[in-house]
Amino acid sequence: MLQIRDLHKSYGKAAALAGVDLDVAKGETVVIMGPSGCGKSTLIRCVNRLTEPDSGSIILGGQDVLALTGPELQQFRRKVGFVFQHFNLIARLTVLDNVMFHLVLAGMDRDQARERALAALDKVGLKAAAERKPGQLSGGQQQRVGIARALAAHPEIMLWDEPTASLDPILVGEVLEVMEELVKHSGTTMVIVTHEVSFALRAAHRIVFMDRGKVVEEGEPERVFAQPRSEIAALYKKLLMN
Amino acid sequence: MLDFFRDGFYKDLVILLVITILLGAGFSQGIAWAIDAYFGDTLDQMIGEYGEYDLILHIRDEAKEAALRELQRIGEQSFPGYKLNQTLTIAGQANVFFGLPPEYRTREVLESITSLFGAVPGLSGYTLIVQPSVLIRGVHPGVREELREQFEALPGVRFAVKDGSNLLVLADGEDALPGVSAQIEQILGQYQILELRFPMGFAVDTQEVGEQALEILRAQERPRGNRYANITSAQYGEDLDAFLTTLVEMRDFLGSYASKVRIAPGPGVNLAVGERIVLEGETELAEELIVEVTGVFGDLGEGMIIQGSPVQSMDRVAYKGFRLLGEGERGEFIGDVEIENERYRLAYAVDESLRLLAELEELAVQASAAVDNAEAVLVTFQEALMQLEVLQVQMRQLNEGITQGDAKPSGEQFLITLLLNGLFQTLAQSVLNNGEQSLDSLQNLDIEEMRRSLDGISTQIANVQEIDVAAIMEQIGFVRDTLPDLSDAEIGQSIRLINTYLGGQVIPGERVQLLIQGERLNEKELEKIFQAELETPYLHTYSTSAGMVSPDARGEIFRILKEVRSIVAGLLAIIFTMIVLALDHATIFSTLKQLRAGRKAAAKRWLRLVDPLLLLGGLVGCAVLSSIYYLAGGQIPLFSPAVIAVLGFGLGVVLVVFAERFSPVDSMELMAAQSLGLSHVQIMREVVIPPSRPGLLNLLNRFKQQF
Repeated sequence: MLQIRDLHKSYGKAAALAGVDLDVAKGETVVIMGPSGCGKSTLIRCVNRLTEPDSGSIILGGQDVLALTGPELQQFRRKVGFVFQHFNLIARLTVLDNVMFHLVLAGMDRDQARERALAALDKVGLKAAAERKPGQLSGGQQQRVGIARALAAHPEIMLWDEPTASLDPILVGEVLEVMEELVKHSGTTMVIVTHEVSFALRAAHRIVFMDRGKVVEEGEPERVFAQPRSEIAALYKKLLMN
Repeated sequence: MLDFFRDGFYKDLVILLVITILLGAGFSQGIAWAIDAYFGDTLDQMIGEYGEYDLILHIRDEAKEAALRELQRIGEQSFPGYKLNQTLTIAGQANVFFGLPPEYRTREVLESITSLFGAVPGLSGYTLIVQPSVLIRGVHPGVREELREQFEALPGVRFAVKDGSNLLVLADGEDALPGVSAQIEQILGQYQILELRFPMGFAVDTQEVGEQALEILRAQERPRGNRYANITSAQYGEDLDAFLTTLVEMRDFLGSYASKVRIAPGPGVNLAVGERIVLEGETELAEELIVEVTGVFGDLGEGMIIQGSPVQSMDRVAYKGFRLLGEGERGEFIGDVEIENERYRLAYAVDESLRLLAELEELAVQASAAVDNAEAVLVTFQEALMQLEVLQVQMRQLNEGITQGDAKPSGEQFLITLLLNGLFQTLAQSVLNNGEQSLDSLQNLDIEEMRRSLDGISTQIANVQEIDVAAIMEQIGFVRDTLPDLSDAEIGQSIRLINTYLGGQVIPGERVQLLIQGERLNEKELEKIFQAELETPYLHTYSTSAGMVSPDARGEIFRILKEVRSIVAGLLAIIFTMIVLALDHATIFSTLKQLRAGRKAAAKRWLRLVDPLLLLGGLVGCAVLSSIYYLAGGQIPLFSPAVIAVLGFGLGVVLVVFAERFSPVDSMELMAAQSLGLSHVQIMREVVIPPSRPGLLNLLNRFKQQF
């Protein structure tokens, strides 16, 4: 489904990605873990071109992502759901509009878009809050709206950029619950950047550890936590044990 | 960056730019036009419409009511159909506009304004504002008639009116004005007034010097064919002449009132006018005494005290003179200096006069008493003389009796005879001999003549007493008190100041004016020739025109209003551009900067050096400001189109640099919109512009916004 080869990205002299190779199969849930600044977020942002890589290649569903421009790129992005750490909702729109507006702008009939948006909101348990503004919701609810927004477009792949990192610990649970539910029942390919070790252990098909812009270890959750080969994986194992 | 505009937003931008420019131009021009219209209407209300009034009568404010009644009377009587409008009162002068009916706009009427309106109470002057006309100011009286004839012969000219030192040329119509004005300029260009100025105090026979100067001009080889004439007019006017005369008199008075300084230079010492000498006397002075040499005559010099006060003395006071070097330093001895304090002498003489008068009054009283005493003595003397005559007769009879003894005396007579016979015989004989002689001489005295003389003296004394000595003393005392209380230094400084004025530095002296018609001459070249030929190195030459075409006051005001309108329009164009750039375009550039953040660095090196956003911002600013400025008719002095373009470019660059401050864009919303596959135009319309600052961009976007 997704093949990333020798991906490089630098911010000035600092290398965020230093030759990343990664394959994700269709329907697979891959959790990317690693210390802050290791390039996890940069990697998934490169996948939908929110960040332009310096070199390398990204193939998604047979499409050379880096060759896309203009309408093709926009079309491609509609197939990729993206959940942000800070929710990134449009503050002036209602919850429902936040979830449906991109569908309408992509050419979908407004009623159909509304139905689909309401269904997505229902999935994350926020149908009742459809007419409220994001500012009237808690952080966890806002993130669930963000998830609904990504889901509404029926994406081929969903990219999660630390969806619980900016939430209070109390609110993390409700989001993880939704995420776990989606992983188990949606069948959508997912690449999740998170520090939630237990979630990764429960939900991921594969865990990828990154350090200093490179993939240092990857494998099935049970295996990498049982027999970590990298320092990072060992640290996460220790975290899990605690 | 071009992708941003390519997917449709360029249309929105073009519409925004066009509407911005049209709106900005309309706004700027509209406001400027409104200001212009307001002032124009106000002006029309004050001074009437073009050609409505023909003259402004300046009337003292206190006489305004009476003047208006008189003007109405004159209008009804002499100019039926006249117009009258009283407008502003400035500095106590009411300005009344008077419009003549067209048939009265003749040269005869316009040149008779003084006599026609002379009876208007409080009239202090008038200004002709007849339209359409060309005003020529400062026409030299020597060529005024000549010019008038030429102007009246021009096509499109009705006639020319003399108005003081001006000529007012009336045109057939407003359309003819530019042509008439150009032709008048052309005629005036053929005339040159060459003025030869001499320093003040330089006595010049202007006619004679004028003729000499004409000869010199004619003797020049080039140019040939020029016409020359001596058109020297009266000096600077009676008032100025009187002022100059007064200044000269005052200087002379001060000169005579000042102490006289005579300098006898020592052997080998040369004095120079203007040199300063510090004096040293026997008496120590409170302040150093310094004189300036004002003249050198052979071996002697004259000076003027410019610092300090000399010793107060009736006599000449001698001092030693030393040359005064720079910064107050005393130099070598240069000679003896004598100072006569005329002012002190005058004050002394006045004081003595007062004393004399006081004594004279007392003397007259005493003299009168003396004459009265003398007259009493004379009466007594006359009575005594008569008694002496009687005694003389008795003595003679007695003597005769003693001598003859023929009479038979009585007993008493006999006794007396015996007693006196011896004593008196000798005495009587002596008395008779000497006494007769003395008495004769006393009798010969002319008592009556003496009495007449005494009467005459008495009359003169009475006359003296009748003189009002007290009044004389009072007036002399007044003169003494009113004599200028000036020190020598003050007098010296005053004389120097007056000399500075009279020396031609402030007020010019005599002048000769020559008319040159034809090719213009260089006055500075001629100056040297005149200085040499007339042997007057102090002479200066100046060149003036025979008259200056001046726009009429009304036209000038409207020209200024037009300029103000253009300046206001220009300023509003700049302000409007700044506002739209900050409110609208800042949002676009802020978004562009956000979108650029995730992009790769430009591949081409020049794009890394020249920030395309800055360039784009500069071009937008340049286009917006230049277009609005041009369409609004903006014209700010020193702001040429190039300057405006550069200013617009600069504003655009500033806009880009501070775009996020002017109009911040939520980067998270922007990123979300990108990730959802929205096109740039959709991002702008649905995400960026709706929450942006209210402006034209925001307003126009509402027609396209879906959410």
